[in-house]
Amino acid sequence: MTRSTRRDASEPEARGSAGVPARGSAEPFAPSPPPEGVDVSPEAEVELVRAAQRGDAVALAGLVDRLAPFVGRICGPIALEHGEDAAQEALIAVLRDLPGLREPRALRGWARRVAAREAVRHAQAARREAARSGAEAGALPAPGDPALAADVRSVLARLGPEQRAILVLRDLEGLSEREAAAALAVEHGTVKSRLSRARAAFRRRWSS
Amino acid sequence: MVPVSWPAVELDPVARLRALAAALPHVAFEERVIEAPFARVWSYIEDMERGVPQFEGNVREIQVLRREGERLWLRSRSPLGLTLRMQAVLRPGWCVMGTASGGAQIGMAARAEGGRTRFAHFEGSRWLGRAARPLFRAFVRRDLAKLARLAESV
Repeated sequence: MTRSTRRDASEPEARGSAGVPARGSAEPFAPSPPPEGVDVSPEAEVELVRAAQRGDAVALAGLVDRLAPFVGRICGPIALEHGEDAAQEALIAVLRDLPGLREPRALRGWARRVAAREAVRHAQAARREAARSGAEAGALPAPGDPALAADVRSVLARLGPEQRAILVLRDLEGLSEREAAAALAVEHGTVKSRLSRARAAFRRRWSS
Repeated sequence: MVPVSWPAVELDPVARLRALAAALPHVAFEERVIEAPFARVWSYIEDMERGVPQFEGNVREIQVLRREGERLWLRSRSPLGLTLRMQAVLRPGWCVMGTASGGAQIGMAARAEGGRTRFAHFEGSRWLGRAARPLFRAFVRRDLAKLARLAESV
């Protein structure tokens, strides 16, 4: 897991207009490079899906190489310390239902939806468990700690799973509000208000 | 430019193989911790022609016909004389091989756990279906025990 470096207040352009680290203006998450000799084109992915649907285990392994970093990028910021479990379960769900996928080009959008929902589910379960055991307050970093305040992870940890999900889908994955609403199975208006609150909360905590 | 990273997660090879096996309903999947370092354990898979037949009970002989980076084209022969042409992807900690139609499907993955190695293995056949899974489970357990004996005895 990659940790962020310290925030430099003199470079506000390094964040998106909402104050959220943006894809183009901050160092992007560096996914694992594709394995040697792997064709990463969308056409190659379509062929992999079709071969995997015919039972080719090597093609299925090729899809795992592509999808594992993809779902990890979505599940990590939403489910945080439960990101690995969420990513693994999202990957299982996608691979298991692959035979029913009629349009191979829809793979990424479908995997994104599965990963986001799985991550929210894990994070909500963890939050409920923490609330039951009274551990939540202690698990959060102390406000005002400059080292932690500069850490994206710790800022994200102060938001709810639903807010993290909408930030990831809009600001990291670049989905439109309508696409994000479809991915999370919520109304467009819900996404609008949730996004606005999430950005405000992120900005407030990022600069505190 | 402020370098900022979102906290993504990376699944290790064993977790990836677990997910892959879960998507293949007819394969049997098992994990085992082997009391030997990763490099020693993985050397049996890396040296495919000499190493794999030493512990994989359903492969008496394996020949690498062609190699392009991580992709391998193989011919394997079972103890009963069945010859299969398979493809494989092989890199440190990760090996999946099989026929294009799923007649044979084999996966192996490993990660270091301190000085020990967590090793995962699946095996199955789409032709034989789910009914043969208990049989493959026995094969996989036998293979893991044999690999552990080999690696731990060095």
